[in-house]
Amino acid sequence: MLTLLHFIILSIVLFFIGIFGVLTRRNAIGILMSLELIFNAVNINMVAFSKFLTPQEIYGEIFTIFIITVAAAESVLGLAIILAIYRSRQKIYADEMNIMKW
Amino acid sequence: MTSLVFFYIFAVLIVISAIFMVTSRNIYYSALWLALTLFAVAGIFVLLNAYFLAGIQVLIYIGAVVVLTIFVINLTKEIEGKTEKQFNKQTIPALLALLTGIVLVVLAVLKTDWASRIAGWTNYDETAKIGNLLLNDFVIPFEAASVLLLIALIGAIAIVSLDKENK
Repeated sequence: MLTLLHFIILSIVLFFIGIFGVLTRRNAIGILMSLELIFNAVNINMVAFSKFLTPQEIYGEIFTIFIITVAAAESVLGLAIILAIYRSRQKIYADEMNIMKW
Repeated sequence: MTSLVFFYIFAVLIVISAIFMVTSRNIYYSALWLALTLFAVAGIFVLLNAYFLAGIQVLIYIGAVVVLTIFVINLTKEIEGKTEKQFNKQTIPALLALLTGIVLVVLAVLKTDWASRIAGWTNYDETAKIGNLLLNDFVIPFEAASVLLLIALIGAIAIVSLDKENK
């Protein structure tokens, strides 16, 4: 029998794998992809809570739709910025992007 | 019972492919592992009877986000060589931060009384209800989301094409 705890544990594991990726990746594209992992962990959590705790209302799923929308917009803008940085500096390593650090 | 088996299959798939995605040295393989992870998350949505979300997951994440990521990886191809380092020097601080976070979250989960909150389990698909809600109660966020997507589209075009004009 599937319980809420199954989904919570899966979501915790996925979330922290994503956090690890964000903290240790050097390539900015890798950081963006790890962010997608974090968003997906949150989405699993949202849908599971919506299904188990408030089965009559489906607001959790509506929120997931909006999270996916915002994540897509964020990903598009992030990749555009990465491409612009690559054009001007030929590098997209996050630990070498110190042009704004004085 | 079958749903439990499928849950474990998808969960193992998610965790393994996410770990490979985070630790892979080649960023291109990383994107492919990400696609597998997202596909397995769609499977989890199916197990939760959220069929519409599973469809959205495959269409938007795998169809749009991963493909876009692979495009950008191909456009910045020269930086991924075998000799280039893909990880920074923060692995041990990152692991410490992870440990702290995991302990905090697990404590929070264990302290919560789930049994009194679980209301039940609906076994039917709610796609029609989602459509109704999106166009009635959530119509303003829905329109705001469409404006946001338009802004992101125009912003991405503006950011990427700015450089060419300056040269």
